[in-house]
Amino acid sequence: MSVSDLPRKEVNVLKGHEGAVLAARFNSDGNYCLSCGKDRNICLWNPHRGILIKTYKSHGREVRDVHVTPYQWVIVFRDNSKLCSCGGDRQIFYWDVSTGRVIRKFRGHDGEVNAVKFNEYSSVIVSAGYDQSLRAWDCRSHSTEPIQIIDTFLDSVMSVCLTKSEIIAGSVDGTVRTFDIRIGRELSDNLGQPVNCIAMSNDSNCILASCLDSTLRLLDRSSGELLQEYKGHTCKSYKLDCCLTNTDAHVTGGSEDGFIYFWDLVDASVVSSFQAHSSVVTSVSYHPKENCMITASVDGTIRVWKT
Amino acid sequence: MNPDEEDYVFYGTPIEREEEITSRKKKAVAESSGHLRSLPAWKQEVTDEEGRRRFHGAFTGGFSAGYYNTVGSKEGWTPQSFVSSRKNRAEVKQQSILNFLDEDEKADLEGQSLETSLEFDTFGITATELARKQAEKEQQQRPSAIPGPVPDEIVLPATESVGVKLLLKMGWRHGHSIKDSRANLLYDARREARKAFLAFSSDDAKAQFAESEPVQGDLGSFTEQPANDVVQSYQSTPVYVLNPKQDLHGLGFDPYKHAPEFRERKRSRMSGKKEPGNRKAYSLQDNLSGLKSGKVAPGFGIGALEELDDEDEDVYASGLDFVDTYVQEVEEPSRLMTDSKQKLVAKEQGVLPGFRVASSSDYQLQRFDAPVIPKDFVPHHKFPGPLDTSYKVADLPPPEVPPPEDSNLKLLIEGVATLVARCGKLFEDLSREKNQSNPLFSFLTGGNGHDYYTRKLWEEQQKRTCQQKQQVDGKFSSHMERMTSESRGRILGERPLDRSTKDSSSSGASAEVIHLQINLSDTFTKSASFKSGLPEVVKPFQDDPAKQERFEQFLKEKYRGGLRSTDSSGASYMSEAARARERLDFEAAAEAIEKGKQGKELSVQQFMDFSATGGMRFTSGGVEQVKDTEAEDLLMKKIFPKREEYQWRPSPVLCKRFDLIDPYMGKPPPAPRMRSKMDTLIFTSDSVRAKKVEEPLTANRDLFATPQFDVQGISEDLNNKETEVDVEVQNVERPVDLYKAIFSDDSDDEGETTSLNKVEDPEKKTEAATTTLSRLIAGDFLESLGKELGLEVPPDLPYSTNKAQTPASRKESANTDAGDANSIPVKNKPSSTVVRTPVNQEVHCDLEIAQYGRSEKNELSYGNPDRRGREHMETGSSEKKFDEVDPEKMVPEDKRAKALSSHHRNLNSSSSSEDGRTRKSSRRHRHRSSDSNSDSSNDRRDRYHSRSKGRRKESSRERSSSSRKHSKHHKRSRDSVARSRHESDQEHGEAKRGKRKNRD
Repeated sequence: MSVSDLPRKEVNVLKGHEGAVLAARFNSDGNYCLSCGKDRNICLWNPHRGILIKTYKSHGREVRDVHVTPYQWVIVFRDNSKLCSCGGDRQIFYWDVSTGRVIRKFRGHDGEVNAVKFNEYSSVIVSAGYDQSLRAWDCRSHSTEPIQIIDTFLDSVMSVCLTKSEIIAGSVDGTVRTFDIRIGRELSDNLGQPVNCIAMSNDSNCILASCLDSTLRLLDRSSGELLQEYKGHTCKSYKLDCCLTNTDAHVTGGSEDGFIYFWDLVDASVVSSFQAHSSVVTSVSYHPKENCMITASVDGTIRVWKT
Repeated sequence: MNPDEEDYVFYGTPIEREEEITSRKKKAVAESSGHLRSLPAWKQEVTDEEGRRRFHGAFTGGFSAGYYNTVGSKEGWTPQSFVSSRKNRAEVKQQSILNFLDEDEKADLEGQSLETSLEFDTFGITATELARKQAEKEQQQRPSAIPGPVPDEIVLPATESVGVKLLLKMGWRHGHSIKDSRANLLYDARREARKAFLAFSSDDAKAQFAESEPVQGDLGSFTEQPANDVVQSYQSTPVYVLNPKQDLHGLGFDPYKHAPEFRERKRSRMSGKKEPGNRKAYSLQDNLSGLKSGKVAPGFGIGALEELDDEDEDVYASGLDFVDTYVQEVEEPSRLMTDSKQKLVAKEQGVLPGFRVASSSDYQLQRFDAPVIPKDFVPHHKFPGPLDTSYKVADLPPPEVPPPEDSNLKLLIEGVATLVARCGKLFEDLSREKNQSNPLFSFLTGGNGHDYYTRKLWEEQQKRTCQQKQQVDGKFSSHMERMTSESRGRILGERPLDRSTKDSSSSGASAEVIHLQINLSDTFTKSASFKSGLPEVVKPFQDDPAKQERFEQFLKEKYRGGLRSTDSSGASYMSEAARARERLDFEAAAEAIEKGKQGKELSVQQFMDFSATGGMRFTSGGVEQVKDTEAEDLLMKKIFPKREEYQWRPSPVLCKRFDLIDPYMGKPPPAPRMRSKMDTLIFTSDSVRAKKVEEPLTANRDLFATPQFDVQGISEDLNNKETEVDVEVQNVERPVDLYKAIFSDDSDDEGETTSLNKVEDPEKKTEAATTTLSRLIAGDFLESLGKELGLEVPPDLPYSTNKAQTPASRKESANTDAGDANSIPVKNKPSSTVVRTPVNQEVHCDLEIAQYGRSEKNELSYGNPDRRGREHMETGSSEKKFDEVDPEKMVPEDKRAKALSSHHRNLNSSSSSEDGRTRKSSRRHRHRSSDSNSDSSNDRRDRYHSRSKGRRKESSRERSSSSRKHSKHHKRSRDSVARSRHESDQEHGEAKRGKRKNRD
């Protein structure tokens, strides 16, 4: 993928949030996207046409992360039926997408919840909280108690990723911890810098960790080796997302000055950077198949970028 | 019945008396439960629930049946559970008459039933049984396709049909054709007759035949049969015997096609080896057949009944056509013949007919000598790597190339070259492969710096070979052998600069070097750090001149005096957190420089100091004199990314939801691992502990909690920090101070006090919002307390009074029954008791004095409220102690003690309402207090320490989160207030109890 294929042309501006947008996420097939923000709302968009489809309101505080049930290979139809969100009200909301009703609320975190993710079968929500813990919630049963609490972290857990058998989480204590359910093992990779956000490469071999020293670090998952560092942007105090492009050729992430940076995955050179927002770019999400990206910013807009 | 009742006429049925009914019922119950059970089934009577025997009339058949005149059972109509007929098809049962008969009927029937005995069963079951047995017998005799006994179910021999039986009766035998039955019949009949005659006539003749003349007999039989059947088709139904293939030849291939003798030999050997019984049967058969045919000896004549036929001539002409029949036999080997042959062969002891075992053979086993090992062979494998290098050395040296400008690249190249020289070319290939994508390693594939690399590699190899020649014993390890600046420095006694990740923590300036260190092996990282370290470290903050300036200032201060004031190098506009971080950076840089310049003079203390704080990552600069034995551990922890592995137990439900098998299924839960370094620190000395636990987290909060999603928050915080500090400490913080003063945990230490006020500044903003609330609460509480104490507490106390009215002082006021709250200082109380009581243990004195001193300090800095609470507790306990020691001295203090006890009681009653909230802590406390009751008073101080340790362990986590959380903080502190109040109350209660005991 050459540099010209990078999504640098603004296609749509999604306006609907009042105040900062804290996260914007594509769904698993990339046709829709979800965003959430300080206005306590979650919005469902069609980013390609720029249409606001639905707004979900129930949170009492700002919504920090949202995730929609992923596409399931096991089940033939595409499952976008549920979504989960979390935020400053210490709860995880489990929504029905079509009706917009809250199916369940999971309480238990002692602090703000920073990130949520569904597992592959959409049966478990894993949430990462400010209370230094990861909690796993069961969507199948009616119990609202967490089925697992992982509290080995020494500081706030900022981001979580799930694979088929692992829970990976990054924490402000500088570690990226991998909890392998199959083996029953915890791997702690200490990066020495507070980890803001983690993203997994599409081949699931690497973890990209955004650290608060304005560096993105690429870790080999199997060995824990530091493969590469990406610098140039500013990330010192905000939770900024980072991700890899759909081909794993580039690394992208926002900056606190409103720029978006693209790095070459291999040689860590900044291949492209441009001013995308007027304020902090809180979230980036890359389309799973096409060269399309959405960015969310504190300035209240979500922008859709294509080549 | 009364006699006068006879006069009356009764209509209708009299109402039965109650007892009659009940007695009948009883009887029914007794019967049903008692003896009826022992009766046989047909003698039992069925009665209804009232014990009456019911008759149902003629049609429905006699007495009632079932369960109380229903068709049901005792269980009622229990529906049958559904069974899928798809899987369990209903069985069609073969019904016989026996199914419908009762047992007695069966018994009757048994005597009458007819059965065919075995011997008379000509058809039906027994016949087949016999046939089967016969078949089994035959089975054992002949080889079958299925090895082992064939199960009966598979092979079911049919019984012989009537026709066969008839035929047999008429003289037909199995294996013979019915075509020329007449001849055969005649022949058979004649043979039978002959056999009978033979058996009849003489035993010795038979024996003679069997022994001496088998061959002859066989021959005779052969001569006889072909003569009989001219067409050679006497075998009408060939019996196919399935011979299992036991050899390794191809299908249809007959190795003995042209040499049938060998086949016989083989077979004999096989049969002789495997189944002697079988062979015996064969031979027996042979004998029989031989007898059958060969008994035809001349001279016996023909029986009187026999016809004179051509067959008879045959009989007499036996032996005449011996030759040609024999030839015929060869052409068409029959079973009989082979059998006889086999017997013959067996007699000849394993030698083919017509062959003899040679007495001497000239076959000789040829032996070959082992290959000759060349003399210069060394039994060691040589790997191609070293060979390669030595080969390369012989090459022409590559031209001298100036090193690339990039010092990192140069270092990298040198390092790789050294490694390659040491480990061989394999390493080069490996690293090339591995780092194909890494632009840094492009010199391996001919990119930037390739020339330099080849040159360097050549040099290294040269050096290596030279050294190998010189020092064959290999005294030095290879990486020490090259004369780099590093080794030179080592020889000169210089201490190599140990630059690990503290640089990464200091700034991103030298982070690249660290990555080199990580990527490459440590053999050359030392040289790398040595070279690149010094120039960088001298001006570590080149990118930020202001910072560099501050750093220099810092250095100056550091080197001027051994100790630095805590607020040394702070720019006034910087936040506390930033300042703390910067100080860390400076410390690290200073350490690096110091080590580089005066490596030996490096004081271990300072080094450890740095590493301890650096390891915590977020330590504020206020603590720098922390010494710890565990610093080394932390120091080791500094290479990032560092991977650690722990055991982690996923919950079974989680595994289920992830569709995985629980790795810990059926295993006992693992022991909880040490949560962190924090926990280990808890068990160190107390002074260290406080700082360790407290400071990093508070600093931490400042760094990362506030700015996350709040743009305005940062600037506000920054502004507020500076402006609000002074005001709030005086003003807003007061009610909280009061709470802490009364009730807070005794785990907060004095080292924290000054920094706490500074660090918690941003909190005060939020706390300011809740000030009024807490003030109200505090006022309420004080009011109620005052009421209970019978005191008059002014509802709107000024802060100063509030503050000064610590519980101790209040206690004092209760003691003196005076309303003035703030008059008597806290410290006077315990000290006065000490003075008043001359008989006191020294330990207590010490304790008191220590408290005294501390409380004095507290008076000076009222920022630390909690010590007072602790002091409060201590005074209570010390008094108790005091009472325990000498009860007789209590008399002058009686009044005070009484007042105290009443005060305690009040406190207790007031705190009971809090019980629900703080049940957990109270339970803990109760346990502890029971401990302390049993303990001697001497170790009170120790216990105090350990207790606070334990509590710290539990609450450190909580505090860490609570102190970092703004909104949470208020609630938390209230909780802790409640708990500590309760604890202190308990303490008082305990003291009171002890006192009462003493008084009694």
